[in-house]
Amino acid sequence: MSSLQGYVDRRVILVLQDGVVIVGVMAGFDQKSNVVLSDSKERIYSMDAGVEEVPLGLYLVKGDMIVLIGELDEAVDQAVDLSTIHAEPIPRIQY
Amino acid sequence: MLPLSLLNAAQNKPMLVELKNGETFNGHLVNCDNFMNITLREVYQTNSEGDRFWKLKECYIRGSTIKYLRVPDTLLDAVKEEQNRARDAGRGARGAFVSGGNRGGRGAPSRARGGRGGPMRGGRGRGRG
Repeated sequence: MSSLQGYVDRRVILVLQDGVVIVGVMAGFDQKSNVVLSDSKERIYSMDAGVEEVPLGLYLVKGDMIVLIGELDEAVDQAVDLSTIHAEPIPRIQY
Repeated sequence: MLPLSLLNAAQNKPMLVELKNGETFNGHLVNCDNFMNITLREVYQTNSEGDRFWKLKECYIRGSTIKYLRVPDTLLDAVKEEQNRARDAGRGARGAFVSGGNRGGRGAPSRARGGRGGPMRGGRGRGRG
């Protein structure tokens, strides 16, 4: 069985169906992949400015919306200066 | 920690709910269920562009339409503390029961407790310290 248990208390990156990218510490999850993130921040990507991080705090994301969950390598992540990163935002999923 | 435990603990607390269509609802949680259907009171609703606002006395939101909920940071510690209390209370009660009921029963398969019978699930470990 695939499980999110290994991500608990780790810093993770979430990509949602509308293209939103959120990083936070996974505090919990359930059978439907609903996820609780603490100390979470949205990362807003754009081509003409560096990555903007918007603090969101404690978040409960519905499993329906989640496309991807990945563990962040915190050492590598902190070594990156987000203000120097220019990238296309992820487009929302269209059916 | 289960998302629904957090939601239950958020009763009477302020929260922001965003729907899949981008509308947001700011209000205090009155009630919720296991589908994440919720009722809020004293609600400020915004449209998905964020340029129009409505004030509602109370509203009901179907769980399946929700994208995410934003709740106060302090809730996390409150829920964790509550869970620790519940666990310690449970352990105390079970521990007493085990030491009395299991005496001399070493060889018997320990299926009776724990319910599920899954490996290493409450079947051992707890009573031994």
